[in-house]
Amino acid sequence: MKDEAQAACAAAADLAALEQVRVRYLGRQGLLRDITPALKTAPAEQRAELGRLANALKTALAEALAARRAALAAGAAGASGPRFDCSLPGRWHRPGTLHPVSRVIADTAAIFRTMGFTVADGPDVETGYHNFEALNTPPHHPSLDATDTFWLASGELLRTQTSPVQIRVMESRRPPVRVITPGRCYRRDTTDATHSANFHQIEGLVVDRDVSLADLKGTLAHFAHLMMGPRVKVRFRPHFFPFTEPSVEYDFSCHVCGGGGCRVCKDSGWIEIAGAGMVDPRVFMKVGYDPEEFTGFAFGMGVERMAMIKYGITDIRTLYENDVRFLEQFR
Amino acid sequence: MKVPIAWLRECVDFDATPGALAEALTMSGMEVEGIVAEKRAPDGVVAARIVAVTPHPDADRLRLCRVDDGRGEVEVVCGADNAAPGVTAPLARPGASLADGTVVRESAIRGRASAGMLCAEDELGLSDDHSGIMILPDGVRPGTPLAEVLGPPDTVLEVEVTWNRPDCLSIMGVAREVGAIFRRPVRRPDVSFAEEGGPAAALAAVRVEDPAGCPRYTARVLTGVRVAPSPWWLRRRLLQCGVRPINNVVDVTNYVLLECGHPLHAFDRERLEGRAVVVRRGRPGEIMATIDGARRKVEGLLVIADAAGPVAVAGVMGGMKSEIRPATSAVLIESARFHPPAIRAASSALGLSTESSYRFERGVDGEGVDWASRRAAALMLRTAGGSAARGVIDLYAGPPAPRRVTCRFARVRSLLGMEVPADEIVDILSALGMGVAGRTAAACEVVAPGYRPDIELEADLIEEVARLHGLDRVPAPMPACRVAPGGPDEQEARALDGLRADLAALGLSEIMNYSFVSADLLKTVPAGDPATRVELPNPVNRDQSVLRDSLLPQMAATVGRNVSRQSCDLGLFEIGRTFARKADGTTAEKTRVALGLLGRPARIGMPGRGAATGEETFLELKGLIEGLCVCRRLGPLQVESVAFPALEDGWAVALRAAGAVIGMAGLLREDIAREWRLPGPAGLAELDVAALLAGAFDVPVCRPVPLYPAVARDIALVVDESVTHARVLEAIAAGAPKELTQACLFDTFRSEGIGKDKKSLAYSLVYRAMDRTLTDEDANAYHEAVKNVLRKKLNAQIREG
Ligand SMILES: [Zn+2]
Repeated sequence: MKDEAQAACAAAADLAALEQVRVRYLGRQGLLRDITPALKTAPAEQRAELGRLANALKTALAEALAARRAALAAGAAGASGPRFDCSLPGRWHRPGTLHPVSRVIADTAAIFRTMGFTVADGPDVETGYHNFEALNTPPHHPSLDATDTFWLASGELLRTQTSPVQIRVMESRRPPVRVITPGRCYRRDTTDATHSANFHQIEGLVVDRDVSLADLKGTLAHFAHLMMGPRVKVRFRPHFFPFTEPSVEYDFSCHVCGGGGCRVCKDSGWIEIAGAGMVDPRVFMKVGYDPEEFTGFAFGMGVERMAMIKYGITDIRTLYENDVRFLEQFR
Repeated sequence: MKVPIAWLRECVDFDATPGALAEALTMSGMEVEGIVAEKRAPDGVVAARIVAVTPHPDADRLRLCRVDDGRGEVEVVCGADNAAPGVTAPLARPGASLADGTVVRESAIRGRASAGMLCAEDELGLSDDHSGIMILPDGVRPGTPLAEVLGPPDTVLEVEVTWNRPDCLSIMGVAREVGAIFRRPVRRPDVSFAEEGGPAAALAAVRVEDPAGCPRYTARVLTGVRVAPSPWWLRRRLLQCGVRPINNVVDVTNYVLLECGHPLHAFDRERLEGRAVVVRRGRPGEIMATIDGARRKVEGLLVIADAAGPVAVAGVMGGMKSEIRPATSAVLIESARFHPPAIRAASSALGLSTESSYRFERGVDGEGVDWASRRAAALMLRTAGGSAARGVIDLYAGPPAPRRVTCRFARVRSLLGMEVPADEIVDILSALGMGVAGRTAAACEVVAPGYRPDIELEADLIEEVARLHGLDRVPAPMPACRVAPGGPDEQEARALDGLRADLAALGLSEIMNYSFVSADLLKTVPAGDPATRVELPNPVNRDQSVLRDSLLPQMAATVGRNVSRQSCDLGLFEIGRTFARKADGTTAEKTRVALGLLGRPARIGMPGRGAATGEETFLELKGLIEGLCVCRRLGPLQVESVAFPALEDGWAVALRAAGAVIGMAGLLREDIAREWRLPGPAGLAELDVAALLAGAFDVPVCRPVPLYPAVARDIALVVDESVTHARVLEAIAAGAPKELTQACLFDTFRSEGIGKDKKSLAYSLVYRAMDRTLTDEDANAYHEAVKNVLRKKLNAQIREG
């Protein structure tokens, strides 16, 4: 039966004839099906052997059918007359893209979620108390100036940082706290290649027992590895922020030159990312946390800056020009 | 701030190269932003002494100078007024190249040969001074190369001083840091000088009417001074620090300010009416002319006044009337401490920030007041001559109580996560100038010096330990993943990410516009409510003057801008906050999503040619929103025609889903589209994000899938043009049994054959029962019922076969 079937395959002149061969042998009422009841009645000792033979036969037939089908198809392609042009463009529905700022926020949030953080949010329009006073900003600090901050007629302001969200979180919960706060911020900067009056920040806050500067360093180093790759190094430099003490600025080793020095890092080997530090006890006292019982760290970074570093964007303004030829690169 | 390294070395010894010093300063908290090596003086320029000066026979403004250049006497032509016999000045010999690249040649000027050129400072690249030739110190041997006279080129560091460290806004402050880093002692310059004649109090009088605004005021008096340009070493230091030299009195006050950080002011004592000053608040209507030539209203500001009126804005800028001029012979040196808020108020009221106000605003050390005054007097005597009156007028309530702060060694360990030995802690704090008042096994108590107002709490001391012990020595262990409960924001953030992903999957690309919008754009594309709109009192510019209350105008503008860049197939979305004034005057925020559609952005593979029609774009947009409603589990979308100012009449709809209004959509008004030269209609929509996320937290509840086959029946009906698809669906629903599971429009058709104002609509209807297989008879009966209702309700003519 095997030889007979194979001969039938070879003789089939077109796909329709080949289909008839298939139905004759392998179809629901095909010849091979007839064997099945016979198998059931066969003596037990022969059944296994017969089953094996039947399966081998089926496989051989399927192979013969496939080979002939391929041969017929190839013959059809070579023949003359109107044929389907399989090089025509495929039809699909092009998905859109996410803005690089959104992507960085989502990537950052995903990384910090693996470290037990959750996202917290607050309003863009803030009170002076939450944006400055509760964060231990001295009342005569220049950042309060109308030249730096957008004050509204209502006495509210457009937040200059997402730190007020930290205050709102601490006002509403007891430690432990582990949050990140992505959001839009505003400063009265004149727009240029690296400044935008409207920008995004992601800040983080951890408050618990026995939280130390070493924990901050470890957390940010881990983040840096996940965000920029395993070779990136993190450097802390002392700095000043009213709401942290000690305060640091942190740098990532330059992603372009790897630390050897280049144009992007101005030959320093380091790229400044943002500020961080241990929460100032004066801030804890504002929100009713006992600084003897709890310590904590906070950090922040500019989202546009991260996006520029990560994607090689040289001018912050391109992020707000919304040129689709730019945006659609971010797939 | 600029720090010349040679100046720094006068105050502290260190071995580090400029690069290593910069690194050490950066890593201890004072970021060095630049290292600038000075240029060498040009070759071929030597010191030359002017022997004789005669007028040029053929030019009024030129003179002939016979100079000794070390090789002999040569004649040069010179136009400077200060070229006088006996003066030593730089001579550029033929062949020397000047700062601007010109090469000096032996030449004839108006018929007289000139064997080189006597140079001004700007020509040598030393400063921008072109008032006359540069004067070199007397006694320099003619022929000495200028590079040798000026000394080796210095290196200047540009450092960023953080807001909490006003004490570092000076060479001595930076030197203290350097001393602490390298554990080297810091030197202070000698401030001793001889006092002669009567007491200062007999030569001038001081009264302080506002002791809160001026906790300390001192005055010294010098008489018989000769005002002239400062010597080069002094001018050079000022130039290195970016301060313009004026004269040997004013330059000294600036020099001392740069050196120790304490701002001073020098008055011409003869021009102070009554030879007395009073520190008071400006009176109503008082106006004074400051040395920059501006007339300034000083009412309410802290001023220094004489009997006639204000002569200086305290701590900010001096007045024209009593400024030091060439004829000045008696000088009153003011060294004071002003209250930072008073200076800040004056500085911001006048819109004037000076080296002086910058430091007073941040706070100066009250204990440094007298030292700075002495230093200035000693230097002025050296540069301008004269004699100092005996003693000083010093109005001072006394030093503040010392600030004692305790540092527990265990707290250092727990806050830094690193062991710092107790000895090291004490050593660091001492190196920073803190007096150790006591020490136990567990803690030490220190007294903060007057110049460190930032040291208040234990944490402030721990920061000092951290930065001088070295932040690079703090370990960075793998983070301990402790879990803390999150709030509802976390759920919302995830839902918003889901919404973004849905919009992108539907073919839309995300854009981001500013939260500010221009008033002009709001006029062109009206949206939102002008009555509750929030305007910025102090916008950066006119185009960013209003907080947006709708995302639509910017979405429309983004479409227009992309078309101008020849991108004409656009599918865009933006998620952003909008702002509106509430009844109580405060600001409400609402997150919305805007959609923008032009052409056929998402269709790839023979997308079709020609502009999309209004119908095509509208239905595409509507389809996107329907798709979004499905993704967000909001059930079917309903639309209802509305009028909307930015949208074309007849093409604007309100959107409802899940029983709530979720937004609106339509086509941009044709006149706007034409003005912006859009190639076709632009679809715009704005939806409320809260409404879109309403179903985000529902969990889908599983229902059984049908077990029995469905029966499909098509139906074609001819109805009046006025009968809408929605009415047909309503009618079908009214006539159909519960077994009708789907009614789907698959064709519309118009022809003369079916009649004018008529259309043919073809639907595919699917019937299915959950509990049995439907028979043909069942299906026929259902279908007949539907046909009857359509005939009755819509006067439809059912087309058979
Ligand atoms: Zn680099």
